[in-house]
Amino acid sequence: MSETQGQYQFAGRIEGGIDAIVVGAGFNGLVAAAYLGRAGLKTILLGASADVGGGVKERTFASGLKYPDGEHLVSHLDPVMIEDLDLYRFGLSYAARRLDTVYFFEDGQSLHLSGDLLRAGGVEYEDEDERAAFAKFMEEALEAAAFLRPVFEPVGGDAKAFDKLIRSAPAGLAARINQYLLASVDDVLDAGLPSGLFKTAMTSEAAFRAGAAPNEPFSFMELLRRWSGEVSGLQGALAFPEGGAPAVIDALRRAAQAAKVDIREAVPVSSILIEKDRAAGVEFEGGGQLRAPLIIAACNADRAFQRMIGPAELDLEFQRALLAPAPKIAPASVHLALSGVARDEKTEENMRRRLVYAPPPAKLRRAFAEARAGDIPEDLIVETIFPGALDGGLASDSLQTLSAIAHPLPFDLEADEKRREAIQNAIFSNLEKFAPEITGRIEETALRLAADRAGEAGEKPSVFAARGPVIRQAALARAAAAGNIGGFYFCGPEAQVGAGLSGLAGRIAAKRALKESRRGGFS
Amino acid sequence: MIFPADDVIADNPRASPLYAAAAAANDANVWTSVNGWAVARVFTSVEKEYKAAKDGAAIADLGPLSRYAVRGGDAALFLSRVTTAPAARLDPGDSARGLMLDYEGGVIDLAEVSRLSDDLFLLTTPTPHARRLQLAARGLDAGAEDISEAVAALGVFGPGAGEALTAAGMKTPGHEVASSAMVRGVETAARPMQFGALPGVELIFPADEALTVWERLVRRGGVGPIGLDALETLRIESGAPRPGVDFISADHARASGRRTPAEIGLPHLAPLDRGWYNGRRGLRYTAPKPTRALVTLLIDDDRSAPGAAVFSGGKAVGRITSCAWSPTAKRVIAFADVSRPIDGKGYEISVPPPAEGNVPGKLFETAENILARAYLAAQASATDSRS
Repeated sequence: MSETQGQYQFAGRIEGGIDAIVVGAGFNGLVAAAYLGRAGLKTILLGASADVGGGVKERTFASGLKYPDGEHLVSHLDPVMIEDLDLYRFGLSYAARRLDTVYFFEDGQSLHLSGDLLRAGGVEYEDEDERAAFAKFMEEALEAAAFLRPVFEPVGGDAKAFDKLIRSAPAGLAARINQYLLASVDDVLDAGLPSGLFKTAMTSEAAFRAGAAPNEPFSFMELLRRWSGEVSGLQGALAFPEGGAPAVIDALRRAAQAAKVDIREAVPVSSILIEKDRAAGVEFEGGGQLRAPLIIAACNADRAFQRMIGPAELDLEFQRALLAPAPKIAPASVHLALSGVARDEKTEENMRRRLVYAPPPAKLRRAFAEARAGDIPEDLIVETIFPGALDGGLASDSLQTLSAIAHPLPFDLEADEKRREAIQNAIFSNLEKFAPEITGRIEETALRLAADRAGEAGEKPSVFAARGPVIRQAALARAAAAGNIGGFYFCGPEAQVGAGLSGLAGRIAAKRALKESRRGGFS
Repeated sequence: MIFPADDVIADNPRASPLYAAAAAANDANVWTSVNGWAVARVFTSVEKEYKAAKDGAAIADLGPLSRYAVRGGDAALFLSRVTTAPAARLDPGDSARGLMLDYEGGVIDLAEVSRLSDDLFLLTTPTPHARRLQLAARGLDAGAEDISEAVAALGVFGPGAGEALTAAGMKTPGHEVASSAMVRGVETAARPMQFGALPGVELIFPADEALTVWERLVRRGGVGPIGLDALETLRIESGAPRPGVDFISADHARASGRRTPAEIGLPHLAPLDRGWYNGRRGLRYTAPKPTRALVTLLIDDDRSAPGAAVFSGGKAVGRITSCAWSPTAKRVIAFADVSRPIDGKGYEISVPPPAEGNVPGKLFETAENILARAYLAAQASATDSRS
């Protein structure tokens, strides 16, 4: 590493003969680089840290047991990207591709919904009226989510396309969408699912990892965004890739290498050179330069625009959207190694599901208020999976791994030991509400807060906070991906609506760059 | 620098530092308010004031305009970003005109930038832009301090402006370049300015000294004040569009009311082949082709009023946005917002009742037109294929 670093970075060296540079070796960076490489462009992928994949990577407990960190499920992996880059050939596979969800409630009840959301309405339930209302709600919401998919993709150039799309909806759907755009989760659910477990479950589903509480306007779109994705052809489904999310990165890395992408690690870029209104290359912290007519930035927007390009080249309105404060809420994930591995069939079957603790809506509202004020809420939504049960390759004979994401938690700039323990205890107490025996079996714990991820990536913690309203995210994504500087394209997290691995932003940035390179210039 | 639209319903307008002097000199006592400040429309008579400015010199209270002192290591970068004026290329003493654009290239306001020293600039805009300037300074080592309230500003216009200043003992080398100096014991910043085609000097000094400077100019320099109505005639003659009247700021306009620099006849103030400024990308890559044009018309009828319909070939193509009687042309002169292409043969303008029918309106050339045409011709012959 240090040798190559010296080679590329020494001051004064200017390297040319390159067609395209991708800055940032996270998920979207790999996607973009693989596209460019496959198109025959001499492409260099520059990673700031020593390994590709951004925060998604395999880590190990002290005992040596491995666990996948970063996203623990995928729901939005871009199917076009998978096909274009031949990811299945490069090793992408799913260990489980349609995870059922079991919701657990405060009073000890539970609700088991099919992983195929279109069939979730057919669940067995004692009260037929409530079930029918839920089936209708699911049908309507899924229809709207599928229809709105283009809104959540930063493809269209402007807001007009968005207006046009909504106007093109059939009358009944258009009216519903207009309501969904503005409504809070509570508004929509109160109208469709007045009471019962369905309402509690859906409230938690919509609020999970969201920046807004379920009673706040615009919050319902978060749920439609989540359900707009598809995994192996199934809308709104959740899948666990074999080897976890890091295995997806590995497949992408292989795809990029097969496309002859030159991957250079641990070469932090300090600025993107703009000359005569066009991207001209990048400059390293050491002073050396790499010059190419196409630059794709796959790091976060604050770094790419504010620091690498510089405010003097940014449109004011765009900069303002970029610097808008993030919600003071972030999810936290915790990885546990549990002693003893269940052998009975029923428990094993349960462990191959996604288990969600859904607090009562009123307590959830309070939790958002508390988290925003910096307090640790008593009630949290906890999404749990057992990677070892889902994927034999991650299993161990004596220990069972558990991966949980809890939300909403206060967004800490720095968390000291005491604070970490309090957060951990809050997560555990919610875990215990549906799995009472679990805390006694904990052998090892790895708590991962937004601040930890930020510290490792050398980024502002706000990059890892929950994001604002979906429609605002979509507007920012369109503006960020618009590519108004000739030869410069952006596919960092802000070019994507919502969290999770998608690759769509990388594909779009690369396609735009390729179009420009074929045209022989930016016009 | 042009006054923005007056706020006709402003309640209890504020008195500028020069208000006492202006009120004392005001025989006609016709007032309006601009940006919330009281401004005299007429002092004696419109024609007399107009003639004085055309042949000799006249002074106007420029207090209602917004003024900012811009300081910091990145001050030039900051101004090049928030306005289209080439601030980075100004030497101390130079001034430049420009526009404020939003990111899509819609015109927000006019702007004038003067460089007083290496790291001190003066920014003048018709309307206040505190929030925008605050946003533009983020990430840069620069800040804009609103000095509108702390200073008084006075414009001396006309061919005799230099003479009047000399007679008042206020002539300094600073009147050819923007500078600041102690003049007769008063810290004064002076910069050359253009009111349309009229050359002039703008004096900016502490509000406390306002009356001293005004009196010295009136008594020793022998100049009289000019009101907003006479200035309006001078403005239309020179082809300078007035924000809020001839075009609506892109900050407030609906989609159909947004105008690009080319659509208000000022393409030369937002050149695409120089450095970057806010809105340039929008103008260059995403803005649609101009569909409107702001034209200046000579109208053979003195009853025309803003809002009158403009016809071309029998079809309504736009409206009169502002008009005034020009003693030089002996005609009504007007700005009209019309659709493109511009009809070279002229237009017809509707006449308010009880008269019926239309009167002809002919295009006339202004100083601003000439600059715009020269710029467009240079663009067409440029080899830069990207623009």
